[in-house]
Amino acid sequence: MDMVRLVRDKGFLIGSCSDRTLSGQRAIWAEHDIEVDFVVAKHMLPDVKAKFEADTYLHIGDREDLDRQYALKAGFDFLWPDEAVAHPHFKPED
Amino acid sequence: MSTPTAPDAIYRNDEGLGIWEHRGKVAAVGVGHAPTSRRWDGRPETCVGAITIDALRKAIDDAGVAPNQIDGLVVVPVTTTGAFWEQGKPLPMDVIQSFNQTDDPLDGVAKLSAEWLLANMPELTNVQFTMYGPGCMSNALNVTAQAVGDGLTHTCLVVKSWHNFEGRYYQGGANAGDAIPGTPAITQLWGGPASYSTALQFAEYCRKYGKNHEMMAPFMENSRRNGLMFPEGYWAQHRPEKLLPEDYLASRWIAKPANLFDNDIPIMMSGAYLFSTSERAQDMKQKPVYILNHASSNTRPRSLLPTLDEVEADTARTARKIYEGAGITADDLSFENMYDGFSLFHQFHLEGLGYRGIKFGEALDFYQTDISIEGPNPVSPSGGNVGSGRSRVWMHTDCIQQLQGRAGPRQVTGVKPEVGVSGGPMPLGGNFTVWSASPD
Amino acid sequence: MTKQGVEPDSFSQPFWDAANEKRLVIQSCVDCDILQHPPTDTCRDCDSDALEWKQVSGRGKIYNYGVVHDCPVRLLQQDQPFNLAVIMLDEDPGIQMYSHLPGVPVDDVPVGAAVEVIFEPSANGQLVPEWRVIDE
Repeated sequence: MDMVRLVRDKGFLIGSCSDRTLSGQRAIWAEHDIEVDFVVAKHMLPDVKAKFEADTYLHIGDREDLDRQYALKAGFDFLWPDEAVAHPHFKPED
Repeated sequence: MSTPTAPDAIYRNDEGLGIWEHRGKVAAVGVGHAPTSRRWDGRPETCVGAITIDALRKAIDDAGVAPNQIDGLVVVPVTTTGAFWEQGKPLPMDVIQSFNQTDDPLDGVAKLSAEWLLANMPELTNVQFTMYGPGCMSNALNVTAQAVGDGLTHTCLVVKSWHNFEGRYYQGGANAGDAIPGTPAITQLWGGPASYSTALQFAEYCRKYGKNHEMMAPFMENSRRNGLMFPEGYWAQHRPEKLLPEDYLASRWIAKPANLFDNDIPIMMSGAYLFSTSERAQDMKQKPVYILNHASSNTRPRSLLPTLDEVEADTARTARKIYEGAGITADDLSFENMYDGFSLFHQFHLEGLGYRGIKFGEALDFYQTDISIEGPNPVSPSGGNVGSGRSRVWMHTDCIQQLQGRAGPRQVTGVKPEVGVSGGPMPLGGNFTVWSASPD
Repeated sequence: MTKQGVEPDSFSQPFWDAANEKRLVIQSCVDCDILQHPPTDTCRDCDSDALEWKQVSGRGKIYNYGVVHDCPVRLLQQDQPFNLAVIMLDEDPGIQMYSHLPGVPVDDVPVGAAVEVIFEPSANGQLVPEWRVIDE
């Protein structure tokens, strides 16, 4: 969650894309007092891309079929969790 | 002692059999559930054998019966949710060696024999009768009811458990290969997921009756609501999340028109009951719930998938068998707990039963009315697999608890709980039980 | 879409041999003269084990369909989402066969339309019956 707060503070638009229910995702964010720009279901990355104009689109996931493939098809870059941790976006010095 | 699989003769498959000869003379008393989990964590104390022992001991305790009074055990030997111990994968020897073993090292880990259970429950010193009810609890309940009625056992445990391992289910084995053998290839090359057949029946249903998938949302919301009031269930224990219409309708398709939530979540679980003769049950700790009938469907579809016509003909036939043997009509049902995992076939069961007078094509409209536990027409008060995860057990537990008056916050209040029905799994091919608060 | 390869076994060999010859055969009971699919060891109606493979016309109708978005078969996952239809044979509408309906747009399937069998190579070259929509 600290990582999410960090990128939020750096000005990224953030949200979650999951098989969890939309209401469940919202509840998790609310529990951690993090304001997000969107919550969507797993297959709805194209909707996110259509809704938000951005320089880059990045999805972090842990499943080849349901995360990476969906992300690439939707025109998102994709990072595995261990890659995300090391990515400059998620470092304070970026 | 080698445990036999229940013979065909034990099931009531046919119409015209009349009132069940043991109507009201067999009772369910004790209920036991082990804690659920999403997947096995590899520890001995959470393997499928261990949770089964836990559930059985809880059922014994719940009934208030001394273990040495128990003389029967009915087991569903298959425990997989679709996850299998991969060939060549090293055996979990630390787990296996934590228990008394049978000849099969995966007994208690990826399957379950009556012999394994008896070897690891030394308190069951007088079990003379064991039998397998294949498939699911619905089947095993039919076996148990008939066995107690026939006098093969007077105090009998019945148990169904599920194991779930790492990985996505059904994605290993042949499905991961570049080629498959010719016989299964004739039907499996096209890659339909498990819910595909039900999805097609639902699609045909919607075309025939002018309905749509959105109309399922109230049923899904209601089922999850009921499940969240089921303390033994997965969602209540681990992820107490509602399933609002927005959540359900936003979910991704698995096999359109079946979406993710139309498919139940595979879990580790075990549920057990203690059955007895009605006479003996009077002295036990809980109020007896009497079995008025059990009925089965062994109908096979003509070809690859059951058509809607086949589904409707068979659910109606099943209902006639259910009512005939129990000596009741649809009007006598206080509530229904027919199977729902896949959710898109619950309405077939409902319409076949003629629950609250609904006819074919009317169930989705019925879902738009008050189907809550507080109303006069409770639908799936257990919440079923939608409400508590894949088990095919919740529906039966709920019938017992509702009729004992101890369903807690899930207790139906809009009707007096007198008679309930549960069973499944499929509209074609299932086993059903009629439960009653009274033996008459 | 490339399906998994097929390794015919003794039971299914006639079905797959016929497919390689671009013929569709369905199991038939010699005693009661009904077709059955999928094939089994005995007749589902009369329990006879006198079964034979009968060539059929390869004409049918689209009975029903779904769209697969989450397929358990690894080789097909790259083609998701895809149509998965059920075909009823003209000879006996009670007999069903699966089809990916090559050429038909996803989720735009003409239920009830006439189809004819075609044969497509699977991953190991074995021809597999498929179905395409035709004008009647």
